[in-house]
Amino acid sequence: MEYYELLFRVIILPILALGFGVLFGLTFKGIDRKLAAHMQARVGPPIRQPFRDVAKLFTKENIIPENSIPWLFSVMPILCLVSAVSVLLYTPIGSFEPILSGYGDLIVVLYLLALPAICLVIGGFASGSPYATVGAQREMVMMLSYEFPLAVAIISIVWKLSLVYPGENVFSLGFIMSHPVWNTVGFSGFIGCVIILFVLCATMPITLAKIPFDIPEAETEIAGGLLVEYSGKNLGLFYLADAVKTVAFASVVAALFFPYGIACYFDVSTTGGYVIDFIFFLVKLFVVIFIGLTFIRVAVARIKIDQVAHIYWMLMTIIGLVGLALIIIDSTGVIS
Amino acid sequence: MKYTLPIGPIHPALKEPILFEFELNGERIANVDVKLGHVHRGIEWAGMRRNPVQILYLAERICGICSVSHPFAFSMAVENAAGIEVPERAEYIRVIMAELERIHSHILWAGVAAHEIGFDTVLYLTWRVREKVMDVIEYLTGNRVNKAIYMIGGVRRDITKEQIPKVREAMDYYKGLFNKLAKVFLHDKTIKMRTEHVGILTREDALKTCAVGPTTRASGVPKDVRQDYAYSAYADLNIKAVTPDIYRKEVVGDVYDRIIVRLFEVKQSIQIIEECIENMPGGEIVSEPKIPKLLATLKKAVGEGIGRHEAPRGEVFHYVKLDGKEAPYTWKARAPTYNNVLAWIPMLKGEQIADIPIVAASTDPCISCTNRVSVIKGSNKYTLTKEELHKLSVEKTKRRMRNGIL
Amino acid sequence: MTMAFEVFKQLFKKPFTNKFPVKYIPKSVTAAVEKIGKGELKINPPIEIPPNFRGKISYDREKCIGCGICTKVCPAHAIELIPTGKDEKGKEKYKAIFYISRCTFCSQCVDACPKECISMSNEFLLADTDRFSDALVVK
Ligand code: SF4
Ligand code: SF4
Repeated sequence: MEYYELLFRVIILPILALGFGVLFGLTFKGIDRKLAAHMQARVGPPIRQPFRDVAKLFTKENIIPENSIPWLFSVMPILCLVSAVSVLLYTPIGSFEPILSGYGDLIVVLYLLALPAICLVIGGFASGSPYATVGAQREMVMMLSYEFPLAVAIISIVWKLSLVYPGENVFSLGFIMSHPVWNTVGFSGFIGCVIILFVLCATMPITLAKIPFDIPEAETEIAGGLLVEYSGKNLGLFYLADAVKTVAFASVVAALFFPYGIACYFDVSTTGGYVIDFIFFLVKLFVVIFIGLTFIRVAVARIKIDQVAHIYWMLMTIIGLVGLALIIIDSTGVIS
Repeated sequence: MKYTLPIGPIHPALKEPILFEFELNGERIANVDVKLGHVHRGIEWAGMRRNPVQILYLAERICGICSVSHPFAFSMAVENAAGIEVPERAEYIRVIMAELERIHSHILWAGVAAHEIGFDTVLYLTWRVREKVMDVIEYLTGNRVNKAIYMIGGVRRDITKEQIPKVREAMDYYKGLFNKLAKVFLHDKTIKMRTEHVGILTREDALKTCAVGPTTRASGVPKDVRQDYAYSAYADLNIKAVTPDIYRKEVVGDVYDRIIVRLFEVKQSIQIIEECIENMPGGEIVSEPKIPKLLATLKKAVGEGIGRHEAPRGEVFHYVKLDGKEAPYTWKARAPTYNNVLAWIPMLKGEQIADIPIVAASTDPCISCTNRVSVIKGSNKYTLTKEELHKLSVEKTKRRMRNGIL
Repeated sequence: MTMAFEVFKQLFKKPFTNKFPVKYIPKSVTAAVEKIGKGELKINPPIEIPPNFRGKISYDREKCIGCGICTKVCPAHAIELIPTGKDEKGKEKYKAIFYISRCTFCSQCVDACPKECISMSNEFLLADTDRFSDALVVK
């Protein structure tokens, strides 16, 4: 690799990814808030409100509580944002290849998706408040609960692809992107895929800790839980990380299940194709975020941590496994 | 792992300052202690420096939500002390106002409860539909919150013929809405998950802790001042206390039961209002329309009186002693939350942290209405038992009798 | 999930909120207020108030005889009697002055006044930074 290409990959592209994540993360947050408000018969804030919030938070001072572990407390927000951005480096954006395609695959993404939550947990413990401690414990229980169904969902798709395309690097998101799973399955496999998609959508609010799973933050119960001691820039960083993570997770879902582009239907140049696909990609993100986040969060109440564990360990895992079984049946031709 | 978690005096789940000290075992509550006294406002002290007509408006401000219940109980207490008769039409208007307040208070509670379990959409829905009754209140009294319609010996504004259609229309609106609200609150899966078998107050505990209002009725105790000591126009109306068995087969005493009771009480209030409008007799609305004359009568009056009213949260109790001066000698108000404080302890024990807000909110507490004392010397706190308090009280009475005050 | 359908329907309906005075907070509130004063910016009207609303007090100074009954019934001690000089017989004359920042809008003074010189207007936008500004002292 040339020297300047390395520079490009290591510095410029991650900055671009950060820019993309922040810009669209906050925009989607604004849209999410606006639509949620409309669904609740309110006017809601203007769409640019999240930008203002972040700008305001960044002008404020960081307050570090007395009985916290200061360095851990202040490092975690940055780490959280970094790990959220690094997911974006592995996911295809529009019809661009993932920035780090070839250097890691879906399994890495799976772990990277868990990292922001771990940062939150550590930050929570480090802040030394009982509320934050309770929040951190809850976040850990939640992570343990959703990790397995999430893994089942992702593995099912990859396994299917590996059957169809032996010898390929099926774990790479770029590959999954160019070989939609829907094209490879029969009828029962199709149902299986729908079930897996449902499981993935259901893990979305929990990974992002939104109602009904905002348990670690639960404003009315533990006063903001994990984030209770965070303020100013640190809180702003967590806010950004949350926005970026939303986009990252949505783009993973989009890449896994809706990898199609529409540029081929238009008679345009390559650049035009990129633009159209990019816009289409944003639409896909919007749909995923709307269904997985906005709609769910206005339609239900917050549930309790033991209920979450029960639902995800038992119910979601079983549903996921049923989906996987259907795909297996479909591809091994037990009933064809 | 045992640890303590203080909730309050300032906490987002609490709309008003109160301190809970929880002893926790993981997410489970092993023990709880409730501490009051952060918002003592000395409202009775202020009252003892004003004449009864002025106190009416002070009483209205004991609670921001029960702004009818307190003046209602207070004016009954003063009428009782001074022997003032209330015209019958005024009694009916008083009851209509009190029931309108119950509707708005219960709907408001439903929204707060939904907010406590993170269901903000329902909060917005309920507060949106609550606007209708607020509008009616504003239409009848001239203001949404502080109605200022009670007067000693009657009411200050009549409900005229022209106003009745609007009231009826609002009642029809709520009747139509009842099924929708019932569907949301009684059938929603997530609400059920959060409220069923949570914060149980058994019948025995409800009786032992002297809980009042919907809190005790939800545990199957049919305690309701409107039924047990029918006063005002309630005596004509044959009211039955609402208990959860009108919807559920058995009484559990959980938060869900409290939802049922409040929901059906809204229905009951609508019926009461309609009945009152139907049967409202004509005549005067106040026994003494001339305020200076009324003040003169009250100044001359000597005696003690009590007034009790079933507020949306339970029984409010006012005691007044007049001694021939402009301001009453004593004025004591007891808000319903005072009785429901102790009921929190059996409710909260054994529950999870996540249940604290909804269980605490399920009694619909009004902390500032309750606070009557404030401990200002934090370092030398001491505890008085019931026996000691009784001894102190007897001693004080004897002392005062010796001095010829009593 | 009983709310699911409900919220989805609501998405296509108008919000319930009354957009008074403007939909979004302006960049600079003082600038916006000035503009409204000059009539350059239109505000959304507040919700209509019913008849017999209890708003800011209006006072007919001419009719007042200075009897002081209103001060006796005012729960908020918002009314003060001010001596306005002697009449022909050398008796001190009084007029009332109302401090709206203390007033609780109970309208008890309106009921009590023997000369019916107090009434309540429909005005309710009374926010001010000065308790004793002209708008908040009725003479
Ligand atoms: S309306 Fe009530 S508070 Fe206001 S000046 Fe009159 S009596 Fe006093
Ligand atoms: S009661 Fe009426 S006449 Fe008497 S002082 Fe007050 S405003 Fe004047």
